[in-house]
Amino acid sequence: MKRRKFIKQGSLLTGGLFLHQQMLNAFAGPSAGEKISMGIIGCGDRGSGIMSVIRELDERFVIKAVCDVLDFRIEGVKKLDTDHSLTYYKDYRKLLDDKTIDAVVIATPLSLHFPIGSDALKAGKHVYLEKTMTYNKEQALQLVALKKQFPRQILQVGHQYRYTPLYFKVKDMIEKGYLGKVTQIDCRWDRNWNWRRPVPEGYTDKQINWRMYKEFSGGLPAELLSHQIDFINWAFDTHPDEIFATGGIDFYKDGRETYDNVQALLRYNKEGMIGNFGATCANAREGYIFKLKGSKGTVSLLPHDGIFYPENEARKELETVDGVTGATKIEWNKDGGIPIVKEKLKDGTWYALQEFHKVIQENGVPVSNVITGATTAFCVDLINHSSFNHTIEHWKPEFNIS
Amino acid sequence: MAVLFLSLFQLIFSAGETPSYYSISGTAQGTTYHVHYYANDSLVKKSQLDSILDRIDSSLSVYKPYSLISRFNRSDKGITMDDHFWIVLKKSLQTYRDTRGLFDITVAPLVQAWGFGVKRTDTLPGNKQLDQIKTCVGSRYLKVKNNFLRKTKPCVTLDMNGIAQGYSVDVLAEFLERNGIHDYIAELGGEIRVKGRRQPSGEKFRVGIESPAEDEFENHSIQKIIMMDQGAITTSGSYRKYYESDGRKITHLINPITGYPIQNEMISVTVYAKDAITADAFDNALMLMGLKDALQFTEAKKELAAYFIYKKADGTIADTASSQFYKLMNQ
Repeated sequence: MKRRKFIKQGSLLTGGLFLHQQMLNAFAGPSAGEKISMGIIGCGDRGSGIMSVIRELDERFVIKAVCDVLDFRIEGVKKLDTDHSLTYYKDYRKLLDDKTIDAVVIATPLSLHFPIGSDALKAGKHVYLEKTMTYNKEQALQLVALKKQFPRQILQVGHQYRYTPLYFKVKDMIEKGYLGKVTQIDCRWDRNWNWRRPVPEGYTDKQINWRMYKEFSGGLPAELLSHQIDFINWAFDTHPDEIFATGGIDFYKDGRETYDNVQALLRYNKEGMIGNFGATCANAREGYIFKLKGSKGTVSLLPHDGIFYPENEARKELETVDGVTGATKIEWNKDGGIPIVKEKLKDGTWYALQEFHKVIQENGVPVSNVITGATTAFCVDLINHSSFNHTIEHWKPEFNIS
Repeated sequence: MAVLFLSLFQLIFSAGETPSYYSISGTAQGTTYHVHYYANDSLVKKSQLDSILDRIDSSLSVYKPYSLISRFNRSDKGITMDDHFWIVLKKSLQTYRDTRGLFDITVAPLVQAWGFGVKRTDTLPGNKQLDQIKTCVGSRYLKVKNNFLRKTKPCVTLDMNGIAQGYSVDVLAEFLERNGIHDYIAELGGEIRVKGRRQPSGEKFRVGIESPAEDEFENHSIQKIIMMDQGAITTSGSYRKYYESDGRKITHLINPITGYPIQNEMISVTVYAKDAITADAFDNALMLMGLKDALQFTEAKKELAAYFIYKKADGTIADTASSQFYKLMNQ
């Protein structure tokens, strides 16, 4: 089996050493093609972050206009707009009316993803929509239906982490069976601070700290855990069948409505797999952990780094010899793990936007699309339902979309 | 990669004069090392081995900016060599002649251009670029006078990774022997040197030859086991460091004469010689020769024996060996 696998033509991502370069080539293609005119809707932390990556990719994109309902955010962008090349809007509809704009980035509070995303599609724009795709499952289903009416437009969902070559490689490793049978996923995204931004004078807490309010936000599951939930859905081509979640406002009793401490258990029947996804705002010891535990090995992931720990099934065979000669192994780390990528990666957004440009040029389908985005939105919605209503939630047939 | 566990037998009988088993492992030169020996006492310490390997790194590691080799590469003229450098250089130049230029420590700029050097590259080199680079490749541009190694062209740079690991294993072996250890196996990055026997059984050491796997995350099984009580064995393979471009496999083994990565049937070559520096010096060159020439070359050299894993025209994988190596396997 091993021999046969060895000789077969490997996939693009087979060679661990050159993953980064290969991904660059794969995404970038021989020529950049046309520059895409961009409008940015929402200039908070995330919108500004995306803008700075777009500016790095100035062979592919040009930012034409920005929109935010908060004046101080607009002022912040103006400071960087030294050549006064941008048009500024407070009303996103006016930005959508601008015919010179090909595509929009939507980085608004979660509750606005669906209305603005829908309007953008209807206005003929390609859409890079921040995660989670929609606020609830109903909106997700509606957006899937709406997108079908606009087949020539791109809708990409901003689950940017899985765009790094690292996450592609891990998917590849899962498919090749290097992890064996995965039974457990352990994921945490912890911090020890209140997850609030300072509110400038003249603005309300709801405007700035919308993540604290149920009417705008899906809380920690939507804003943080959705990334890893989405990765598991995509990497295993699956979805959970049963979800139990719990949570509370356990530390920051500061008027917030969304939980500062959550834990979700996801049961994947087809894979025979349990996912444990948790986040707290009151402990930073572990920070980000994401572990996929299989019968042959564990993958331990950080956003830009990953280590493979083999379960060493070959041990029995190795016990019979005193030494093994082979081609030099490349830097095993001290605790017996093998680094999955060898070089420093760029931020996931960089790779995600490369693909956004490419699929627009080729009228392709992004890896993180309306279908995978909806699947993850269903998961987040079920998690919040479960934790708010103390119920066990089940996957519904209508969620099986294509 | 060697693993050896104390058997119950050894635990029970190790109280008397029977030598005990000792094992030291660590990391060096971007890979791992393992030393196992039998003696009546723990005669060497890990810190001693680490410091020996550190000193070799300070001389020969292109990954250390302060090393002699890095200083040579930055210099326009050359450097004064230390003992480690001189021994490895001498062997390298001799092997350069023996292999008619296939083993060449000045190949570094080509290796770099293909993306396997210290720095990463984003594009594959073209013919023109390779021709340009090849003007800086050739051990004939190296001149030695007393302890000074001079480059006759400023653009000449060195990479002795293809031989330094074998040399390091020899240095470890010598150190063990100087400290009265006569039954040992020393391994660094898959290069192995052996002397003596397992104790108290008196069996020869068993050395596994790794079978190629698709990439480093797959568990490598063992293709063959050979029994050794002396000598060294090293392996060069195209199955660990490579990437793919346009469906072609680009390996880290670059032919210094053509400027291109190998495109032949070889998957790995395992070489047996009396010391690891010799085995290591030839393994890469044998990969580059291709199977027919490599077999012929090995048969003509009394001090070498070699085992080859290769891909046949129909895509299946096969193995073969020189006559000397068959003798080793049949012991």
